[in-house]
Amino acid sequence: MDVFGSFALVLAFVCAVYAFGGGIAAIFTRHPLLIKSTRQAGMATCGLIFVATFSLEYLFFSDNFSNAYVVAHSNRDLSTFYKIAALWSGQEGSLLFWSFLLAVYVLSVLVTYRNKNGELMPYVGVVMAGVQIFFLTLNNFVASPFKALASPGADGVMNYVARADGSGLNPLLQYPEMVIHPPNLYSGYTGFTIPFAFALGALLARYPGEKWIHLTRKWTMIAWMFQSMGILLGAHWAYAVLGWGGYWGWDPVENASFLPWLTGTAFLHSVMMQEKRGMMKVWNVWLVFSTFLLCILGTFLTRSGIVSSVHAFAQSSIGSWFVGFLVLIITVCFGAYLKNRDYLKSENQLDAIVSRESSFLFNNLILLVSCIAILSGTLFPVFSEWITGNRISVGAPFFNKVNIPIGLLLLFLTGVGPLLAWRKTSTESLKRNFGWPLGIGLVAGVIALVFGFREIYSWVCLILCVFVASTVGLEFYRGAKVIRARAGASFLASAVDLTLRNTRRYGGYIVHVGMVFVFIGLAGAAFNRDLQKDMQVGQTMQIGPYTLLLQGFDSKPEKNYTAQRMNVEVLRDKKPLMMLYPEKRHFSTNEQNGTMVAIYSTLKEDLYVVYAGDSPETNLPVLHAYLNPLVKWIWLGGAVVVFGTLVAMLPNRRAVLVLAGAPQPAAQPLAHGLTPSVTLREGHD
Amino acid sequence: MTKKARSVAAITMLVMFAVVPLLITPAGAQQLSDRAKQVGGKFMCMCNCNQVLTGCNHMECSTMSAMLKELNQSLSRGDSEDAITQMFVQEFGTKVYAEPPKSGFSLVAWVLPSVYLFVGTGLVVFVISRWRKRPPPQAAPAGGAPGISADLLERSRAQASRETQD
Repeated sequence: MDVFGSFALVLAFVCAVYAFGGGIAAIFTRHPLLIKSTRQAGMATCGLIFVATFSLEYLFFSDNFSNAYVVAHSNRDLSTFYKIAALWSGQEGSLLFWSFLLAVYVLSVLVTYRNKNGELMPYVGVVMAGVQIFFLTLNNFVASPFKALASPGADGVMNYVARADGSGLNPLLQYPEMVIHPPNLYSGYTGFTIPFAFALGALLARYPGEKWIHLTRKWTMIAWMFQSMGILLGAHWAYAVLGWGGYWGWDPVENASFLPWLTGTAFLHSVMMQEKRGMMKVWNVWLVFSTFLLCILGTFLTRSGIVSSVHAFAQSSIGSWFVGFLVLIITVCFGAYLKNRDYLKSENQLDAIVSRESSFLFNNLILLVSCIAILSGTLFPVFSEWITGNRISVGAPFFNKVNIPIGLLLLFLTGVGPLLAWRKTSTESLKRNFGWPLGIGLVAGVIALVFGFREIYSWVCLILCVFVASTVGLEFYRGAKVIRARAGASFLASAVDLTLRNTRRYGGYIVHVGMVFVFIGLAGAAFNRDLQKDMQVGQTMQIGPYTLLLQGFDSKPEKNYTAQRMNVEVLRDKKPLMMLYPEKRHFSTNEQNGTMVAIYSTLKEDLYVVYAGDSPETNLPVLHAYLNPLVKWIWLGGAVVVFGTLVAMLPNRRAVLVLAGAPQPAAQPLAHGLTPSVTLREGHD
Repeated sequence: MTKKARSVAAITMLVMFAVVPLLITPAGAQQLSDRAKQVGGKFMCMCNCNQVLTGCNHMECSTMSAMLKELNQSLSRGDSEDAITQMFVQEFGTKVYAEPPKSGFSLVAWVLPSVYLFVGTGLVVFVISRWRKRPPPQAAPAGGAPGISADLLERSRAQASRETQD
């Protein structure tokens, strides 16, 4: 099966090269058969990548320990669940998995637009095939997952060998979220290839950039949603498995996943400027380019070993391939831009400084500043070593100091932006839209002060969260009120109706609410507490309102590991609340230890208990307990963000008349091809 | 919005969010002193976990234990924060800093984010002023792109519109 998979990969490479070369020829000749054959070659590439991927999974499931990759990342006792995840647990397999997910996207695009956008698609197909060629080159010639295990015989000839069992999967990866976190994150990374292909394709095809941007936005939202889910699932994995009580450590690999998310978020906002006003075309194209470049850069950081990270793959020479690819993409993007930049000129003027347009500009500014600050902080150790010879670490304290104020500014704009009208916002409108939300936010701040809230950033964050939630609530209230008055339905039904009539706008608001929840959770981190104690059976430990009583230990032999568990009874006000079982796991296959945290999670706080090993001084087991306020709001917020994104991707139920809440300025003739924003509001506007 | 509805909305929001600070209660005593936590948070654990010393995520990390022991000893001796920093830098090199020191070349790391913000703000202000000075769209011939003719731009726009569907 390894020969079969290897052969499928080689064939996929050949098909991708044909799709690329034939696609370029099709662009020049416009020959229908050539266009069709290159599209089919693109589909065949995807099919063959699927075959290769399933071949590797088959090797895992059949315990084929003659394959070097299977030996390094699996063993007989590994559960079926984790044999799926073993595919992306190492460098070679994860690169194949990357190709697999990219193939899913490419196939979706080729099938969706097989009878549409006939002139644009050859350009898009060529770009997608180009990206596929790069990854298939890695899969075939640099990091093949289909290498057979061999050892030299007495005669010096290499002989194929098979091991009785494998080395097993890294214990840190044997956790349910590891089965869903990487696919989500990779789906985000690979998904940004599609908007990149459309943006570059449209620029090469000299499309002025109104209509095609609709296509790009949809695919960007899909990629963005997966990226968001991937980041949050990764944070949850770090929280629940690593046992250090936190969820985000500003590790270079975490940062790498966050960078394209920031530029992708900026694009999803600024694209509205282009759709509504025909502005920021150059900016949008470069945002899409940058997002894709950051995805490749992030992959380079993760895999090259240039920055040290607990999440990174083993150091390898693969980095130079990524550098070459990055240089190539930048050259192509600059070349295409310089050649056809005249087609991207903006048509509209800015009527007033206090307007939705300005808020989008500042929103983009803040997102980009955050992105560049994180990038330069992540790469600073490398630069400092190059320039001074000393590697200076840049850890979480630096990133927190830099990014907390930026994040709060962004949160403020999240509340302000939707309340400003396009073109111009009158003073009257400002008063009407901001009065209540601002008042409610400030009152919440005063209440917080009264109750002893003294952490300045968390306090500001709380005020802004209340402010943003109030603005969103007000928007829903105003819209639903009009529908309710007309249809006589309940308020909730009217709000649902309102959302379904303008999914993009109200889905966007739901996403904003999700972000408010995430910020509430982040604000709680300022109040984290922890306590560590060597414990004897029968001893107690007090943390916050909880008393932890160590009742005893037990051992839980599992197929792939043995778990030693602490049996900890949690009491509150001297009344038994629940039992927690923090675990210390020993994986005999690779002689590694791991933890399994026990968490009692409520909206108020998480009681997070870790069996932190045995004390070298007392030989007693160590219980490390954390009290982390409001963490659950982060995961809840993530779910709301995903829900809101899904809502925003739904088609509108029917056209919607402008609601009377915020009076619009007089309609002016819009640029060609743009949807008038006054009679119909179909966007997140 | 009616007066009653306003009051209901305001009270709902207040109740929802005013409870947030109430949710946070102080915890009990801690083993590491606050001072040790504060100073320890300024160094990285040298076990390659890429975490600060007080937040190492490796199970039974011997490096963290040894470093915390040194830190506790220094603090109990009454060593200053500078002396502790020098001790760790001598032992592990500049990699031990959790954040770049605010001197020498490392100062660049601290200055850069502000530079980005100021330059970015300057650019946004510049763009806004340019857009405000731009003539209204009616006066601009078909978009006003200077490098290509208005006719060509119009034809390209029509072509893009014709050739693309959602």
